[in-house]
Amino acid sequence: MSLWVDKHRPRTLDELHYHEGLSARLRALAASGDFPHMLFYGPSGAGKKTRIACTLRELFGKGVEKLKIDQRVFMTPSKRKLDVNVVQSNFHIEITPSEVGNYDRVVIQELLKEIAQTQQVDLNAKQRFKVVIINEADSLTRDAQAALRRTMEKYMSNMRIILCANSTSRLIAPIRSRCLLMRVAAPSPAEMETVLHHVAAKERFHLPDEAAQAIVADSNGNMRKAVLVFEALKMQSTDLTGSLAIAKPDWETYCAKVAELILSEQTPARVMEVRAKFYELLSHCIPASIILKTVAECVVDRVDETLKADIMHWAAIYETRMRIGNKKIFHLDAWVVKVMSLYKQFFYGLDLSGFDE
Amino acid sequence: MSEIATAADDQLWVDKYEPTSEEDLAVHKKKVQGVRQWLLESLEGGSNGKLRKYRRILALTGPAGVGKTATIRVLARELGFDILEWRNTMDEQYSLDDDYGEYEGLSEKFQAFLARAGRCHSIFSASTQSQPPSSAVSGGSSVSSASQPKRQIILLEDLPNILHPGTRDAFHDSLNAFVGAGEFGVAPMIIIISDTGVRGEGGDGDVGSSTNAWRARREAVDVRSVLPPNLLASPFNPIAPKILRKALQTLLRSRFAKSTGVSASKEVIDLIVDSSNGDIRSAIMALQFACIHDADAQSERGSRKGSKGVIPRALLEAVTRREQSLALFHLLGKLLYNKRKDDPPAPSASAKDIQRDRDFDSRLQNPPPLPPHLGEHHRRTSRVDALYADTPIDASLLSLYVHQNYSQYCETMEQCDTLAEWLSWIDASGGETWQQANPHHFHLLALSTLHSLPSPVVRRSQKPYKPVFFDTLRRARNAEDALGDVRNWLLHCPDQTEEGRAGGWTKGDIALRSGGVLKARTLSGMRAYVPPAHKLFSRLEWNKGAGDLSQLAEGDDVDVPDAEPFDDPEWADGRERRSESEGAWQDDDEIEDIEDFED
Repeated sequence: MSLWVDKHRPRTLDELHYHEGLSARLRALAASGDFPHMLFYGPSGAGKKTRIACTLRELFGKGVEKLKIDQRVFMTPSKRKLDVNVVQSNFHIEITPSEVGNYDRVVIQELLKEIAQTQQVDLNAKQRFKVVIINEADSLTRDAQAALRRTMEKYMSNMRIILCANSTSRLIAPIRSRCLLMRVAAPSPAEMETVLHHVAAKERFHLPDEAAQAIVADSNGNMRKAVLVFEALKMQSTDLTGSLAIAKPDWETYCAKVAELILSEQTPARVMEVRAKFYELLSHCIPASIILKTVAECVVDRVDETLKADIMHWAAIYETRMRIGNKKIFHLDAWVVKVMSLYKQFFYGLDLSGFDE
Repeated sequence: MSEIATAADDQLWVDKYEPTSEEDLAVHKKKVQGVRQWLLESLEGGSNGKLRKYRRILALTGPAGVGKTATIRVLARELGFDILEWRNTMDEQYSLDDDYGEYEGLSEKFQAFLARAGRCHSIFSASTQSQPPSSAVSGGSSVSSASQPKRQIILLEDLPNILHPGTRDAFHDSLNAFVGAGEFGVAPMIIIISDTGVRGEGGDGDVGSSTNAWRARREAVDVRSVLPPNLLASPFNPIAPKILRKALQTLLRSRFAKSTGVSASKEVIDLIVDSSNGDIRSAIMALQFACIHDADAQSERGSRKGSKGVIPRALLEAVTRREQSLALFHLLGKLLYNKRKDDPPAPSASAKDIQRDRDFDSRLQNPPPLPPHLGEHHRRTSRVDALYADTPIDASLLSLYVHQNYSQYCETMEQCDTLAEWLSWIDASGGETWQQANPHHFHLLALSTLHSLPSPVVRRSQKPYKPVFFDTLRRARNAEDALGDVRNWLLHCPDQTEEGRAGGWTKGDIALRSGGVLKARTLSGMRAYVPPAHKLFSRLEWNKGAGDLSQLAEGDDVDVPDAEPFDDPEWADGRERRSESEGAWQDDDEIEDIEDFED
């Protein structure tokens, strides 16, 4: 039994619940036979990928839902091998180049060239082109974006690119200007409630309004999160009445506790304790930069105004180091130590001037 | 050589005293029982005869030298089946005038081997004694051990090169075909995989950066890459010290019952047991070596007194794998204690030691005075001479050890701060191509550690700990495999009417977002299935309480509940600072499971 998020995900443009204007436009685009490169952007959980999938369905028909997952191997110039997971159908291919970090340029170039060089051979295909979906386009490196820009022009005849990003600010202007921009805004609370009630109806039970409101309020306009939370709640209590305790994911609670450890005591022994907690988080596959970000936000919430800038400053520095370096824990640890000594010095009213090397 | 090394004796002890019965086997009884059960079920079909088709492949995994192969060989003798073994061939000769025409790749050969191994069943059984093996199975040579020609199992120890994706796929295909072939006439297969450790450098980079740079590639062979995901594995654990000691003593008895010679002393055995980390093969090798030495010494000198135990120790340190760990221990001690000129002597130091230190100090020069604005960097001259050339430790490993331990030796947050900053800087500096081979990292690390630590370091009987890093890495890999499982499940749910497009799920999404639902589903019982492996990443418990408990039990010199001391508590003898001969300092050993073993 799949998760509700997947089970009740709209499959065609008609099934979508909100942003009707957008859906109409996409339908018209797909019918026009003159489909451009596109860039979908908007906050996470707003339904970008769902809309992309629906558009593909509109373009190519049911065949596009026959997916297979492949692992492709690319070789960097320095002979390092990269494995990339690729989801594809006969009509499209979906990649997340940021999985390979700094080598995304290689993946983009090789893959696009390969696809562009093969014509669509299926005579029954509705369109002559194939579609390449690039997820997390805003974390593409500059090199990769530059490589993309050239390819987009060159192979227009038999390939279209759909980019999916959270914001356009990290994409270079030439790419933005080559795409049709589609903003997918977060749904309004009323729209989210409609969707939740729709899911409940599909699952054949009644969802009390208070519960729907509580879920919507918790999810901050993130539809995916709302449906996930909804399912979790339903699993815990079948009638969904009374006060609902919407639990945060374990790792978030854990990070908040780590922040508390940092602020409650500043000693070398505590450094070790916090480090053990970080190791625990890392061993649960929580990315180190997410850990740093979450803990830093919790810490910043609770310290004096004058310290906030410094703490974030060091978080930024150590996050950069983390990307360049090898062992995440060193940088997490260094940040904690830095925060502790900043906090301690502030606490004792000592001179901070010597601190900004 | 002495009289021990006669012609009858030129075999290695490992081969000569290979276990012949289950009693000789130094593997935990339950594990042997499990394997035997499996074999019986696969050969005879268990109690109702229907299990045969489910018992097709057994994978034995574990560190090197824990008796995986020995178990199979013993059971083969006992249950009376032949072992048919695949070997990769390197002696392929193909010339232009070869009759065979085209070249047959190793994976094709392997496939052919599997196919034929089943069909050629009777041929092997009929002529086990003298047949040149490779005539029956071309390419790979098959070795059938001569015994009662009854039943057979296929033993895979020498795997094709599965780090190459193409070969791995072919390998998986042939295994799947093998499983699918059903029980008729085809022997069951046993695959033996030795765990290989992953080294410190480069490993962590994949655990997950912000851009979800999940582990791109498996550097080491492990079960998951060997087996297609639908097969089961049975891990072997390192051999517990008690069992190992007993096995060594049995071996010695059986040896010295017949021939004359000096048996190794108990002390030597203990030393070997301690140093072997549960690897019985290396333990036996070391034992043989130790006995030869004893015999030599005896024939030269006639009688020995007093010095006994000293020579073997020095010698054994050279034979066993501990050279690196010893150096690491010394080096870490030197760095973390940060001794400098004119340090007050330790209270326990003897007069001789004090005098020696004083002599040493007199040879050290004082550093030139620093200008006032650099005054904070003034340090007394260091007694430490951490020379790169002397140390077989790489900077990456050393940095992990320093990082794990430095905070115990710091007094103030400022000292921690400088050192942590340096560690972070060193890790991030140098760029990609330098990371492995940069000789300056070592000096930077050593000198910055010395510079940052207080002087003199306050002694609180700090214990060096092993980095939790490797354990974390291992668990993160398991969790990541679980992520993969969950993702596959999301993408291919059985009840989805058409090939579902689960679209948005990247591994990062799953790790960060799906935990709540998965947990709720697990709690709600069987009516909503989820892959149970998700616990590895979705469940995170705040274990403060447990931490406090272990802190009390360990005494007040242990600061971090979760840190694993680098010595197994079982071997601890309460000395304040462990003598070097006891540390088990391999970076890849896993000894936590020993307790389970001795139950």
